[in-house]
Amino acid sequence: MRMAKMILLLLLLIVIGIQFIRPARNRQPGPFPADISQVYALPSGVQQLLQQACYDCHSNQTHYPWYASVQPAGWFLQQHVSAGRRDLNFHEFAAYSAKRKQRKLKHMREQLISGRMPPDSYKWLHPEARLTTVQRDSVIRWIDSVLQ
Amino acid sequence: MKRVFISAAVLATIAFAACNSGSQHEANADSSAAVATTPAATVTGDIKTTGAVNTIVDDYLKIKDALANDNDADAAAAGKALAAAVAAADKSGFTPEQQQIFAANEAELKEHGEHISQNTGNIEHQREHFAEMSEDVMELVKTFGGGRTLYKGHCPMYNNNKGADWLTTTSEVKNPYMGAKMLACGSVEELSK
Repeated sequence: MRMAKMILLLLLLIVIGIQFIRPARNRQPGPFPADISQVYALPSGVQQLLQQACYDCHSNQTHYPWYASVQPAGWFLQQHVSAGRRDLNFHEFAAYSAKRKQRKLKHMREQLISGRMPPDSYKWLHPEARLTTVQRDSVIRWIDSVLQ
Repeated sequence: MKRVFISAAVLATIAFAACNSGSQHEANADSSAAVATTPAATVTGDIKTTGAVNTIVDDYLKIKDALANDNDADAAAAGKALAAAVAAADKSGFTPEQQQIFAANEAELKEHGEHISQNTGNIEHQREHFAEMSEDVMELVKTFGGGRTLYKGHCPMYNNNKGADWLTTTSEVKNPYMGAKMLACGSVEELSK
């Protein structure tokens, strides 16, 4: 019995201890002169959709939910954000080579159609990222107009 | 001393090409002369440059072989090596044109290498990245030279018959997009020396 108590206490200490290990947050102040809106004439509806459904993982300014302050959830979240930003960062889009820009748009289109993006795990707690078919098609139409 | 000589040789080549392009009716002869002299300049002119791109081509060919053998683990290892080679590339000896071509493909190549390395167990996804990586490496080879005889393979069926290319060192078809399913499917043509 005393043994069980000791183990519980130890676990509690570990859970409290890891709360102090906080990953650096992705909250740059801006402005972002290399934002995608500086490269293309984005329809305002499309720009808003990108911001509400994509920018948390694909920009320099993540809006963190409350559970990001609870470890280890915050660690996993930060890993996702880092991976997302490495592959596509709308705030750095103007710095991409012409070829990279074209490919990123092409891949966005494929991901939207296949439904791989935004990912289900994100949509679960972010209703604003659940794009309707009409919303999704408006983004795809815009991509098509750029890639002509 | 050697560097000075090499720089002089490169400058002379450029000057030669520039002078020649002056007269109109010799335009055809000029462009063929320029094409003939440029690769020679890059191959002999810059050992460093060839070194960086050579390593990238080496790693690329390893990925190609691994995918043709349906070996996702080997493809992943070579993908990691390629991403590292791109990141470590010494660009100090690059000509302005080479710098431009390298910059246009750098981030893409690195990303494709990383994704191939992270997708052991998902060879079809590795192949998706390999298709674009092949376009990038082809662009590098056009400007830097490949350091060996290279052939361009073509798989007409890949990606819902949109087709995809790859680079290889033999005229024999070993299709990295199909692997054992259809290893000998596709065509090959000589690309460069």
